[in-house]
Amino acid sequence: MSLLFRHWQQRWRMPELRLLLLALIVSVTVVTSVGFFSSRVENAMQAQARQLLGGDLVLTSARPLDKAYVQRAQALGLETAETVSFPSMASISDKLQLTQLKAVSSAYPLRGDLKTAAAPDAVEVLSTGQIPARGEIWAEARLFAELEVQAGARVTLGRSTFKLTRVLTQEPDRSSNLFQLAPVVLMNVDDLPATELLSPASRARFNQLFAGQVKLIKQLQQELEPQLKSTERVRTLDEDLSSVQQTLQRSGRFLGLAALLSVVLAGAAVVLTSASLMRRELPAVAVLKAMGMSRRQVLLDHAFSLLLTALLAAAIGVVLGLVLGLVLQLGLAEWLSRFVGKDLPAPSMMPALNGLLTAVVLLLGFALPPLLRLVNTSPMQILQGALQRPQQSLWLVVGCVVLAVFGLLWLQARDVKLAGLLLVGLVVGIGLFWVLAGAALRLAQHLGKRVGGGWLPALGRSQRAVLLVVVFATGLFALLLLTTVRTDLLDRWQETLPADAPDHFLINIQPAEAAPLQGFFSEHGVKATLYPMIRGRLVAINDKPVKPEDYEEQRAQRLLEREFNLSSFTTFPASNALLEGQWFDGKQSGLSIEQGIGETLQFGMGDKLTFDIAGQRLSDTVTSVREVRWDSMQPNFFVIAAPGSVTTMPQTLITSIHLGDKKPLVTALIRQFPSVTAIDVGAIVNEVRSLVEQVSLAVQGIFVFTLIAGVVVLIAALQSQKAERRRELAILKSLGAGQALLQRRIWGEFLLLGALAGALAGLLALTAGNVLAYYLFDLDMHLNLLPLLMGTLLGSMLVGVAGYWNLRGLLQVLPLSLLKA
Amino acid sequence: MNKTVIQTTHLVKTIPQAGRELQILRGVSLAIDIGESVAITGLSGSGKSTLLGLLAGLDLPTSGTVTLFGQNLEGLDEDQRAALRLGRVGFVFQSFHLLENLTALENVMLPLELGASGTDRTRLATEALQQVGLAERLSHYPNQLSGGEQQRVALARAFVTRPQVLFADEPTGNLDRETGKEISDLLFTLQAQLQTTLVLVTHDETLAARCQQHYRLVEGALV
Repeated sequence: MSLLFRHWQQRWRMPELRLLLLALIVSVTVVTSVGFFSSRVENAMQAQARQLLGGDLVLTSARPLDKAYVQRAQALGLETAETVSFPSMASISDKLQLTQLKAVSSAYPLRGDLKTAAAPDAVEVLSTGQIPARGEIWAEARLFAELEVQAGARVTLGRSTFKLTRVLTQEPDRSSNLFQLAPVVLMNVDDLPATELLSPASRARFNQLFAGQVKLIKQLQQELEPQLKSTERVRTLDEDLSSVQQTLQRSGRFLGLAALLSVVLAGAAVVLTSASLMRRELPAVAVLKAMGMSRRQVLLDHAFSLLLTALLAAAIGVVLGLVLGLVLQLGLAEWLSRFVGKDLPAPSMMPALNGLLTAVVLLLGFALPPLLRLVNTSPMQILQGALQRPQQSLWLVVGCVVLAVFGLLWLQARDVKLAGLLLVGLVVGIGLFWVLAGAALRLAQHLGKRVGGGWLPALGRSQRAVLLVVVFATGLFALLLLTTVRTDLLDRWQETLPADAPDHFLINIQPAEAAPLQGFFSEHGVKATLYPMIRGRLVAINDKPVKPEDYEEQRAQRLLEREFNLSSFTTFPASNALLEGQWFDGKQSGLSIEQGIGETLQFGMGDKLTFDIAGQRLSDTVTSVREVRWDSMQPNFFVIAAPGSVTTMPQTLITSIHLGDKKPLVTALIRQFPSVTAIDVGAIVNEVRSLVEQVSLAVQGIFVFTLIAGVVVLIAALQSQKAERRRELAILKSLGAGQALLQRRIWGEFLLLGALAGALAGLLALTAGNVLAYYLFDLDMHLNLLPLLMGTLLGSMLVGVAGYWNLRGLLQVLPLSLLKA
Repeated sequence: MNKTVIQTTHLVKTIPQAGRELQILRGVSLAIDIGESVAITGLSGSGKSTLLGLLAGLDLPTSGTVTLFGQNLEGLDEDQRAALRLGRVGFVFQSFHLLENLTALENVMLPLELGASGTDRTRLATEALQQVGLAERLSHYPNQLSGGEQQRVALARAFVTRPQVLFADEPTGNLDRETGKEISDLLFTLQAQLQTTLVLVTHDETLAARCQQHYRLVEGALV
């Protein structure tokens, strides 16, 4: 054992082993840090999504739910809570107000928090484990304003009268009805029967919330689903994504991609270095075998060295990855805890295991074939002068490498199909590089003959040059792709969130208030566009009535259950993109729909939609389809009707404004326009913005590692050909080539190879970047020739300098000694 | 006691080349006694190195038999043949074949490390290097040594296990005349001191003349 260890130490003197270690460290670090970062973000997202539901699993129905479900859940040891909500009028003396009444049981909410305040302008506090006591209700500040009451007032709901005790400022499962007009009133579910409000005719929604261990929740879901009645369904985390989640998801994808690129690059470095390490060991093994070393000893000796190197790399990489992951989260942890409330999920240790597995898979797949070849080296070769590598089955090599690459991709993507697709992409990409590199070199050779580049012919023929171009191009491609995608992505994100991005939504503006409100805005220098907002329920498609039960998809059912926000205006919204059809441009009929809703509810261009808007019917044909950026912080609408077509419908107006440090204006505005509701989304805007900054920092980190991986690949590729170059230089020197000539030749060759590789990489990065932006990040395609230019320049510079630097030592050596070694 | 250490009968070696069988050795029979020094000479391509490889059991003949240390090599696999050589056979090569990442001392320790543990490898290797006059060069790497010095290290490495047989393949082939002379003097001195059987392949007739036995190979056959 100590001997094996000593041999490992001795191998440290070979640059190849050090390079191998470096390549492994890079991949482990990247995998660990990105994994650490993303798993934290993902956990936070899940936690937030659970808060949106108020539990881990929600059973919802338009009819009271069977008690057997609750009994079963309790038998499994799960927590349960129930809520019943429906619209109802609240009254105080002669004043009436429509409210959204929500009766909850004592365990509510199972996930997330309730927050209340003593008065509309008082400090908000966490309401731990409490709901309104019997005979009391809590309500949103709007109810206080509408009814002009203070805390302590007595409010009548149905046949009961309640004491209005606190202002409800936050409830977990509210977000899905952000723009709900009626203020929420929270009451104890035990008070509900006495009100006699609940009748079979009331549009009530009965929810049963469950929370507990993941596997028990899954078990309950599996048991419940087959027995559900047609009116009942299960709601899970599969919710519409909020703008923050959309950003988080994109950033997760991007980081994953970045990590994948640097792992693939590091993998290439491992292939090259382990192959040249084994090639270097070939004579040693032949000598030792002649002395009596057995194959088992050879295998043990080298496998031990490789394994120890992998473990060392994994240890260093995991520590570095954790540190880097922590640094990336410094700002994020605090931010996430604000975002998801007090229970910030603990970081998982999976990424560390992933890092270790990455190192092992890299070595197993990439070093195993050359190791087996080494073991089978014939000692006889040592007597035959030229050392020839033992024959090896091509299928074994290809099989090992493909399996290892697939393993790596799977470790990153955790999806067999995606990993398969990525593998195919990678193979096609490298094949493409190979073909293009060969063609480009032949072209260079052809042109070289004309301009008298005497050494160029050699270049065109050699597989060595093609290999170098492919390797360099792959490395440069990763760097360029990352640079362009990163810059594009961040720029375009920033664009969607400019410094003056709206931070307040104003809703519930009465049409009569529109003119005075605009006056108020211009007086205070606030820019705002008012949009009509009409609440309508989709009742028929092409005159055929639609019901939630007609659809299997949960989202479709939800969309049909609640009312959509419709609008009508002349100017095409800047944050939308027209996908099909024509914008109204003066026409007075037609509907413009959002792409997603059309896909979900299965309607599109030319279909006739009928909406029920407070008893009135609106029927029209779809004349355009839009793509909407929900994270734009602008009012967005699923359906927009032609200008003028809905003026007679009951409506309010909505707008979004940027107040920044003029925030106190809100109070003045509400005082002047009491029925207007202001929703502060500044916090969300800041969250998205700080997330973008955080992600860009994370990407810089990954970028640095990809750069290191790229340089390691470059050196590994050069190192793998050094022996051959050494002989070649010796021959040229012995034929009388002077230093200056050789220098020119080396510079010329590497500058050309680098430029070719860079141009190829730029071209492919340009294409791939656009494809990725479009399909993965929902961004538009655009032509940016910078990668091509940058690739060519960067490639020739980087490869030229590295190539010369790698070989410069050989220029000083005497030809004889070159030949002897 | 049997005093023959290596014996061959009708050794034939053919290799496939360009679709045909190329015969490298055509029925070589010889016997080498313990402590004897034997030279095998011949032109380039006469099959000298192939014969050396077969004698040492590095490869197997197409037909005929090789007996090494009284053991017929036929039917032994690569590892069994390696075990037979372990600690009893030394090698010296034309291009030295020292491990570049190891110091002179570590290179000499290598064959000791292959065998049983417990021996004081550092002491034995140091003594071996002292014997070849490189006491001052223990921690030098091969690229810091001259060609002659490198071959001395190779000699120390070959003799450090006190092998019964030493196979030398053109030991002076890469050296100038003077250094070559020094190396061959050292080789024969050590061989005599340790009473090692020496099998030497060379095309240097003066070197061959210093051996007790001299076989000449012409086109794969002894003459």
